[in-house]
Amino acid sequence: MSSVSSLSGVALPEGVVRSRLLVREGGEEVYELFIGPQHPSSGHMRFIVRLEGDVIVSVDPDIGYVHRTMEKLAEGREAIKAIPLLERMTIIDSHNVTIGLVRALEKLLDVEPPPRARYLRTLLSEINRIASHLYGIGIAGIMLNHSTMFMWAFGDREVWLQLAEELTGARLTHTYSVPGGVRRDLPQGFAGKAEKAIRYMTRRLEEYKRIFLENPQVVARYEGVGVLKRHEASRLGIVGPNLRASGIRYDARIAEDYAAYSEVEFEIPTFEEGDSYARMKQRVEEIKQSMHIIRQVLQKMPSGPFFAEKYLRLLPPKLRDQVLSTGSLKFPAVFATMKLPQGEAVARAEMGHGEIFYHVISDGGSKPYRLRVVTPSFRNVILFRYLMPGHRFMDFPAIYGSLDYFPPEADR
Amino acid sequence: MGLLEWLISLVLSPQVFAPLIFPGLITALVVLLTVIWAERKIAARVQMRVGPLYVTRRFGGVLQMLADGTRYMFQEFIIPETSDKPYFVFAPILALTLAILPFAFIPAAPGFSPVKSPLSLLGVLAVTSSVPLAVLLMGWSSGNKFAIQGAVREAFMTVAYEAVVFISALAMGIAYGTLDLEEAVLRQHLPGILLNPISAFAFFVGMVMSAGKLPFDIVEGEQEIVVGPYVEYSGIIFGIGMGLAYLKLYAFSLLFSLLYLAGWEPLLIPLYNLYPALGGILLFVKAYLVMLFVVFLRSVYGRYRLDQALRAGWRVYFPLALLSVLLSVVVRVVGYA
Repeated sequence: MSSVSSLSGVALPEGVVRSRLLVREGGEEVYELFIGPQHPSSGHMRFIVRLEGDVIVSVDPDIGYVHRTMEKLAEGREAIKAIPLLERMTIIDSHNVTIGLVRALEKLLDVEPPPRARYLRTLLSEINRIASHLYGIGIAGIMLNHSTMFMWAFGDREVWLQLAEELTGARLTHTYSVPGGVRRDLPQGFAGKAEKAIRYMTRRLEEYKRIFLENPQVVARYEGVGVLKRHEASRLGIVGPNLRASGIRYDARIAEDYAAYSEVEFEIPTFEEGDSYARMKQRVEEIKQSMHIIRQVLQKMPSGPFFAEKYLRLLPPKLRDQVLSTGSLKFPAVFATMKLPQGEAVARAEMGHGEIFYHVISDGGSKPYRLRVVTPSFRNVILFRYLMPGHRFMDFPAIYGSLDYFPPEADR
Repeated sequence: MGLLEWLISLVLSPQVFAPLIFPGLITALVVLLTVIWAERKIAARVQMRVGPLYVTRRFGGVLQMLADGTRYMFQEFIIPETSDKPYFVFAPILALTLAILPFAFIPAAPGFSPVKSPLSLLGVLAVTSSVPLAVLLMGWSSGNKFAIQGAVREAFMTVAYEAVVFISALAMGIAYGTLDLEEAVLRQHLPGILLNPISAFAFFVGMVMSAGKLPFDIVEGEQEIVVGPYVEYSGIIFGIGMGLAYLKLYAFSLLFSLLYLAGWEPLLIPLYNLYPALGGILLFVKAYLVMLFVVFLRSVYGRYRLDQALRAGWRVYFPLALLSVLLSVVVRVVGYA
């Protein structure tokens, strides 16, 4: 008796409302599931998944659970303070997420970083990108319940976090790039440690291949699942590795010439298939390219100051000497009250997840009048609607994992 | 004095000792605690971690599961308002009972089984295949969407592995010419795994599917349906739901050792003479090693999709099981000739 009534969604005499198991919309056979926000694989968001039997009919990504009013908060504080604020959007990729903002501020302030600073930015950006991709691969692993891939990727990510800590003093919240340069010079013996990390990672990527990417079980789950066709990818405005895995060679590192990317040689790997498997392989290939870039950057690293002359001159002589001798910059009050000239500037940068876009408008005060961010995850979230329908319900986490979607970044 | 002797003889009689102590309830509980610990330790070793450590640090955290179990004991058991309460409470008890029952048919040593039956192999198979019904009831009475998804998956998976397990086990029955497990061990002059490797392989896969271990932990499907049929259960009943899979695995591992690994042979005569059940130690060791191998799979594989598991069950392992029957017939005919 009660199993029947629990299907109909009626209030029973004792006042208990049975959960509605079937939705009226779309017929009796549609089974509606709410995945998240409290769910092992939802992330900080909710998906409304409708199933017909075991096949997904539609997926509604319901975002906004971790909206932190970042844009508005940035308007309420001095421009330089927006950097540590906005890097918390994508804490796993915090240099790449703020370098676009720093570029936009530099355009407004009309200051260029010295060559050494540009190389140092490239260095940290690539370290961040590797860590971000490892995070994505690990999450994709656990979404297939492949705990070894998850643990390995997260364990090896530590190598790159420690390199970043060596360089910047912080594991995640680096606040490394500031308008005019970077906060710290390259520490002693960094090149050796980086080389060791690269050699370790190259070896580990082979092991990843054996346990995960070429594991028949994983291939069976990924191949031909969640195919994003080339024209669909460009029509939907997808960015980052998800776009490149569909065969479109677009990378903001090339499109927008920032940091030292025009001075190092690297390839932009692409795949034609556009399925989940291609997206996973794409990330591995990009890690290899990032390591290639790090090697070149450390070889070609020019000597000279790591901070713009224009600002160094503003420092008291004693402090300036200290900065140049210790290779570490502390912020004097002059930067906190720095006025942004009236005008606006845009900048974009390539994060691990894709292209991030900044638009900064200033009315001449020390705080930005408006600060607009378009994050890659926000542009990629539409894929949930387009890739899922027609697949089995169990493909849901497989596709989700392969998209490397990061809810706090999309919600800002 | 007479009462004490009567009590001792009661406990030591196979009808009580086998289901309660070895290989039944108490041994099963110890297996449960140590195999879960071993699974976590093995996975930790592969994954460059430490694994359970803080409870009994000196022994590598072996009592972690006991601590977890104690915590489950004192946790509130919540019965959701929207569940079918009588069935919700009754189903896990039924499931646990059915999961323990196979030990009534499993002989631990020659002449040492609580229920002596010429059809004990069928008995074990029949009882283990009724556990999914209780799980189905658990999922359905929860009145939760994820639980119902899990229950449906359980039904599908049962369809996928049941035929494979039955036919490959019966192939061994044909090869030995008996459905009595004790007889089957005695007639294994050559271990069954060498006699009919196809059957052993199909049975092994069916066993992994049945116990819901990776790569076939589809019913629990944490990443899609949280823990499937057990999602609404809390406290000790959740612990039972977790232990259910391991109990099934234990029963199947014993069966695997009996059918394919020559059971308790070679029999340790001095121990057997001391007390018959002690002769079953070798059987236990074999079953334990089989279990360790099954839980090791967790560090290698992710999860297959439901339709892939069904396809594998019917298109690969079902024909393999039929082939193993053919092989058994050939073995039997050649053996007689």
